[in-house]
Amino acid sequence: MYELLVLAVIGLGTYAMRAAFLVMAHRSPPAPVARLLPYVGPAVLAAIVVPAFVAPHGTIALAETAPALLAAAAAWLAWRRLKRNLPIALFGGLAVWWIASWGISAAGGLGLGPS
Amino acid sequence: MTALAAPTPVVHRAVRDVLPVVLAYAPFGLALGATLAATHLPAWVAWASSPLMFGGAAQLLAVQMLDAGAAGVFVVLGALVVNARLLLYSAALAPHTAAWPTRWRWLAAYFMADPVYALAITRFAGTDTDSPRERLRYYVTVGLVMWPAWMGLTGAGVLLGGVLPTSLRLDLAAPLTFLLLLLPMLTSRPAYAAAVTGGTVAVAASGLPLGLGLLAGAAAGIAVGGWLGGRHV
Repeated sequence: MYELLVLAVIGLGTYAMRAAFLVMAHRSPPAPVARLLPYVGPAVLAAIVVPAFVAPHGTIALAETAPALLAAAAAWLAWRRLKRNLPIALFGGLAVWWIASWGISAAGGLGLGPS
Repeated sequence: MTALAAPTPVVHRAVRDVLPVVLAYAPFGLALGATLAATHLPAWVAWASSPLMFGGAAQLLAVQMLDAGAAGVFVVLGALVVNARLLLYSAALAPHTAAWPTRWRWLAAYFMADPVYALAITRFAGTDTDSPRERLRYYVTVGLVMWPAWMGLTGAGVLLGGVLPTSLRLDLAAPLTFLLLLLPMLTSRPAYAAAVTGGTVAVAASGLPLGLGLLAGAAAGIAVGGWLGGRHV
């Protein structure tokens, strides 16, 4: 099973990267490295998230980008206002995205905006 | 309130923290499962990426590349580049896990997916009162809830793939989920700067192949965060 083999190789490589520092590190990292570690999470997650909102399908297009950014803003606002409630923030963001996408495509159908 | 102010057992705390994350992961997991089922790969092989990789971003990339007929070498390369962030997570968690027994660290490594890392680092960096043993319990509890949840959600997505209406679009679920993991980490000005830089550079470099734009953004964000953090301390 060729595809399974490829997935298994990825799994092994991924596990090796996960274990690299966790299992092998026997002493704390040198100070210059330790100083950088708190910024790993924010930088990596933002590098995943921001392109997905700005260019949902690889390119910046108003009809795709505007609803996605609105959804992100709504999720952020809901998360801040509602005691960091993750499910409400997520489903609220999705709902805003559906409504905004529908609104833009409806406006496009009427010749009011980009389709 | 005072009667309840006694320290909550760390396992309960972990369950309370992870359950909303599981719920928030539901659309992403279902959508990923449906995407896996829509490829020409046998459904169980595509789903096997869940236990093998335990990370949605790389699963999506690998299975879609295989479906498109990409050579195995490039599929492995692409998925490992996307997952290279786990190397950084591993380094960031290591100072907090150094006192754990080795065999538990091998297990902890397997559980180290984005939500597990995000919950653990938020907890470990935010409280100094937990003993190493309590930290281990917190981490393993989160992993033991998140792992079967991810297997079940992606499995359900595979089974429901043909049933879910196509008008139910869930493709924004993944970035929204990751956004909600990011927000609790924005606790300082350098952390904000790291996120803004990482996101901006990743957008500018998004034309690079194999997800290298992600790595470029991550590297730039970490550098800016470290530079600003060093200046203010």
